[in-house]
Amino acid sequence: MIRGLIILLCFQGAGEIVSRLFSLPVPGPVIGLVLLFVFLIQRGKVDAPIDTVASALVKNLGLLFVPAAVGVVLFLPQLKANFWAISIALTVSVTATIAVSAAILRFWPAKAQAKKTEP
Amino acid sequence: MNPALPIAEIWVYLAGSPLFALLLTLAAYEIGVTIYERANRNPFANPVAIAVVIVAISISLIDMPYAKYFEGAQFIHFLLGTATVALAVPIYQCWDSLRGRVLPLTVSLLCGGAVSMLSAVGVARLLGADISIQKAMMIKSVTAPIAMGVAERVAASPTLTAVFAVVTGVIGAIVARYVLDALRIQAWWQRGFAIGVAAHGIGTSRAMSIHPEAGAFAGLAMGMHGVAGAVLIPLVADWIV
Repeated sequence: MIRGLIILLCFQGAGEIVSRLFSLPVPGPVIGLVLLFVFLIQRGKVDAPIDTVASALVKNLGLLFVPAAVGVVLFLPQLKANFWAISIALTVSVTATIAVSAAILRFWPAKAQAKKTEP
Repeated sequence: MNPALPIAEIWVYLAGSPLFALLLTLAAYEIGVTIYERANRNPFANPVAIAVVIVAISISLIDMPYAKYFEGAQFIHFLLGTATVALAVPIYQCWDSLRGRVLPLTVSLLCGGAVSMLSAVGVARLLGADISIQKAMMIKSVTAPIAMGVAERVAASPTLTAVFAVVTGVIGAIVARYVLDALRIQAWWQRGFAIGVAAHGIGTSRAMSIHPEAGAFAGLAMGMHGVAGAVLIPLVADWIV
């Protein structure tokens, strides 16, 4: 458990260092994700300590958004002025984005997917 | 025994320690998850949205400023970065089903990202939203921490961008099932990836709760959108708004 946490924090730290060192627009944790992914590919398996901590974090991902998301409430007065424009724009946009992304995957020429059995 | 401490004094102590904010956040989320489970994981019972409402009402009832709350809850917030790194694990576990699909996934991401920006800005402009809102709209499908960084580079408000990103995540988590069902998209990897492109972390969290493969592909889409958005959005921003 602790060992897994140490490993993840090291990758997060490495990501931060790379991000700052090369002043990349991508924040540290995303680079940490890429670094850990490359590490796992190299290693060929997920060690139990990493798996334990990663599963626990990923399963409760929603919780981790709560503190930042509560900040939305601070903006309610400002948002009210443009309430309809904002809610319609976001809903239309999200719906269109999901539809387009999914449709492209679904109707991609079957050759690329033929060898895969779909669940 | 000493006479009981005045309740106000105990309260001052509690409000100064992270205990209250941590407890409130965890309890609110637990309530959110319980309602979500009881509702058979109905997308409208989004646990993040429920928790946010409970926390927001609670801190406004006791007059706790948001900054004070966040000071205590920042321990939970910090783990968001660690959890982002941890998404490498489910993505790696789907490596076999992912490998042959790099091209369709990339095309889907780029088209989805473009639709996300153009449609949000277009509709907002049509409905008369001002330019600061349009700018923040452009970036909202990128996961919040990256979106805020991108916002600074394209002279949009980082806070407004983060607000739109969060609201987008919740809306995406709610509407995804209906959109995907209407289009008869059945494969979990397709469903998950589309949610991740449109609704980043909160969408990924929803996908994880439905199916592990959907969750992994949502996490992948969120990561790809984050990287692509950070690099590409500043390049095209001037043409859009």
